[in-house]
Amino acid sequence: MRGEEVIKVLFFGPVAERIGNGVLQIAHRPGMRLQDLRDGLAAQYPQAFEIVCFTAMNGESVRDMSIPLPDSSEVAFMARFSGG
Amino acid sequence: MQQAVRIQREDFSQDDEIKALKAGSKRMGGIGTFLGCARDFSEGREVSEISFDAYGSMALSEMKQLRSDAIEKFGLLDARIVHRIGTVRGGDNIVFIAAGAEHRVAALEACRWMIDELKQRVPIWKKEITPQGDTWVMPHP
Repeated sequence: MRGEEVIKVLFFGPVAERIGNGVLQIAHRPGMRLQDLRDGLAAQYPQAFEIVCFTAMNGESVRDMSIPLPDSSEVAFMARFSGG
Repeated sequence: MQQAVRIQREDFSQDDEIKALKAGSKRMGGIGTFLGCARDFSEGREVSEISFDAYGSMALSEMKQLRSDAIEKFGLLDARIVHRIGTVRGGDNIVFIAAGAEHRVAALEACRWMIDELKQRVPIWKKEITPQGDTWVMPHP
């Protein structure tokens, strides 16, 4: 994917286990929104996205999935937390 | 002195954390603490180990914000939060929270609030490793 604009997608714990990977590089498309990224990955990894409850973009929690997704963003799709 | 908010693999010393908290102010009349430990039994099964995964940068940032929020909300003089990641065994320490205030009520309430908030806000996940297999802990909504 060298030379292309990409989104770095992170997975942790139970979601990473269901994806089979902790990180994916996804090609960025102009006008892409967070929801587009989620929809594409959820179609590809339905079992993992069954348990996704939280989304973060560049380390900040995001609720509005309609926001534009800038190139080089770091996105995390996460299951309910269980620390402590 | 170590940072007031940390995520680390190694164990921590409650005495050292309390000493560090007290060093900040002699106005501290009450310190509330919470120590979370690994259980060797859960949901009817023996648990041999617990393994933690974390979104490290976000988890640390959330824990720092949590500390700041607690200091402001309860008027604390200081607070400390330490969470371990990696693998721990039954009886091992997992998380330590300390809240220092002029009086006990604020210290105790802040400590309770911080651990409850940590469980909701901080991206850390635990997996119980049992003789029957491994299971990610999935809290109910």
